[in-house]
Amino acid sequence: MESRSNYWLVAPSALIFCALFIAPMAFFAVLSFWQVEYFELSTEPTLANYRDVFANYWRVMGFTVVVATATALLTTALGFVFSFLARFRAVEWAQALLFIVLITLFGGYLMKIYAWKTILGNEGVLNSALLALGVISSPITSLLYSPQAVVVTLMHFSLPFAVLPIYASMRGIADSEVEAARDLGAGRWPILSTVIVPRCQSGIVAAFSFVFLIVGGDYVTPLLVGGKLTMIGNLIAPQFGAQFNWPLGAAMSIVMLAAAVIVIYLFRLLVALWSRQ
Amino acid sequence: MTLQTPPETRSKQDSPAALLKLRGISKRYGDFAAVEPLDLDIFPRDFVAVLGPSGCGKTTLLRIIGGFVSPTTGTVEIDGRDVTKIGPEKRPTNTVFQGYGLFPHMTVRQNVGYGLRLQKKTRAEIDDRVAEALRQSRLTEFADRSVAALSGGQQQRVALARALILRPKVLLLDEPLAALDLKLRHTMQDELRRLHQEFGGTFVFVTHDQGEALSLANRIAVMNAGRIEQEGNAESIYAAPATRFVATFIGDANLLQGERHGGQVKLEAGPAFADAGPDGAITAVVRPKAVKLLAAGEGADVQIAGMVEDVVYLGDHIKCSVKIMGEQQIIVHLDAAIAPRPVVGEQVNLGWPLLQQRVVVA
Repeated sequence: MESRSNYWLVAPSALIFCALFIAPMAFFAVLSFWQVEYFELSTEPTLANYRDVFANYWRVMGFTVVVATATALLTTALGFVFSFLARFRAVEWAQALLFIVLITLFGGYLMKIYAWKTILGNEGVLNSALLALGVISSPITSLLYSPQAVVVTLMHFSLPFAVLPIYASMRGIADSEVEAARDLGAGRWPILSTVIVPRCQSGIVAAFSFVFLIVGGDYVTPLLVGGKLTMIGNLIAPQFGAQFNWPLGAAMSIVMLAAAVIVIYLFRLLVALWSRQ
Repeated sequence: MTLQTPPETRSKQDSPAALLKLRGISKRYGDFAAVEPLDLDIFPRDFVAVLGPSGCGKTTLLRIIGGFVSPTTGTVEIDGRDVTKIGPEKRPTNTVFQGYGLFPHMTVRQNVGYGLRLQKKTRAEIDDRVAEALRQSRLTEFADRSVAALSGGQQQRVALARALILRPKVLLLDEPLAALDLKLRHTMQDELRRLHQEFGGTFVFVTHDQGEALSLANRIAVMNAGRIEQEGNAESIYAAPATRFVATFIGDANLLQGERHGGQVKLEAGPAFADAGPDGAITAVVRPKAVKLLAAGEGADVQIAGMVEDVVYLGDHIKCSVKIMGEQQIIVHLDAAIAPRPVVGEQVNLGWPLLQQRVVVA
């Protein structure tokens, strides 16, 4: 009977989750079927917003999914390597390595963006260094204000969110499991692919999801380092401001959410398939 | 039982028949010597116990044999091949780890077949051998369960089956029974003995439990502070401990300090007798079972007078503590049927033959 009474412990978080997530999402879902005409909200149910999204915004939406997927894959891979080093290779440095990852969270979001502007700019750190070394004769202008700049900046920002879940799940792997795998004849690669990755499935999927969602919803980074680049966030945000078209914004959000669910589900499937024995 | 060293069936020399040969093996961690330079020979079909208290270096030694720790000095040779520089994945050894190291994301069947899958055996061969191994380990009915759903004893059997299926030349076991409760431990002891016989391989296991070592192993290496203090069959180690440590670690023993001078030993507790050896401090070791209560007028090689302090009936024997000179105590195991039983406060004469006593240096 004790276990049943323990369920009450999740009540506060369930309440917060319902009030601050489920309820607004439900409101959004309803809102997306309404329409704004001449600054007047009409509650007549319509699919017009969705038609609009698929007719006029699918390119930006697709591009956003591609950038988010690429960033999430790269960051998850990087986070995996980082966690692997902290958990299995440089164990005595694990605390320090994790601290370094966490401390980047203290530096603000905008600070990182400006840091990358300074690094990647025409007269930035990277170009100056390459010029001084004589590798190039004129600055590479395509470094900043490019999709790559957006990906790099977002990777930097989201790396802690990838490292933490993966490291946490790697901590659950006993040393004796890895040693047993070696003992039974597994070299480096088989240990990684048949023991470590399958045992970190949930951490890897969580890392990918975090990064994908952070990138998919971001609209500041493309604005500052992406140049003419537009991501769906840049189009959604104004609907709730200057454009004053909440229903369209809601429809865009719902479609993007659906895309995110599909991509994350596919990624999960991929990891599960990899981990199948 | 006599206390003369039972004849060793094998010479400790560099026998060509030894399957596993350790030569000058040592391991240092900074200033700390986990294993002092040592030699050890293990022969085919041996069931060897490396016995010692925690921190004596026994697990390090096992990990050196398995390839998980590279020795600071010395060589490991298995079946005539120097494997010192070869990693565990390529050594003809397999290990049953203390925590078992089972893969929780695999079923019992997948765990057991893991090594064969890595060897890229055909599906048919893997299936056959896994089925056979599961049958031998009595795990068939659990084959498709997750290992997390098994009891400790069943997990132990999975770990054994997973290692033995690769037919290792030497099977290494790190405290194989430590995690099990007492009753299960006895069952698993029988199981291990049976597997050793059926499999016909060479097993080396590490334990801190002397009872486990005596009941399982045909040879025991007693380790203390990084050294092998004595190595031999169970009888010789029990009957003729080479050092004070071995005497106290295996079985109960009465230890009596003394001094040897010119082949004459004088114990602090009184008795003196002849015993050849170098001059200096010695300890006389006598097992509680070897000590007799002397009747009036009865004599013995070594005699000590004392007062009975405590008498405890233990079913198969009576444990009697006798206080002797210098606040020392001698434990005597008496026949449970002895009559009349000694009573507390009674003055008694204890005695034992020289043959049942062992004198060790210091």
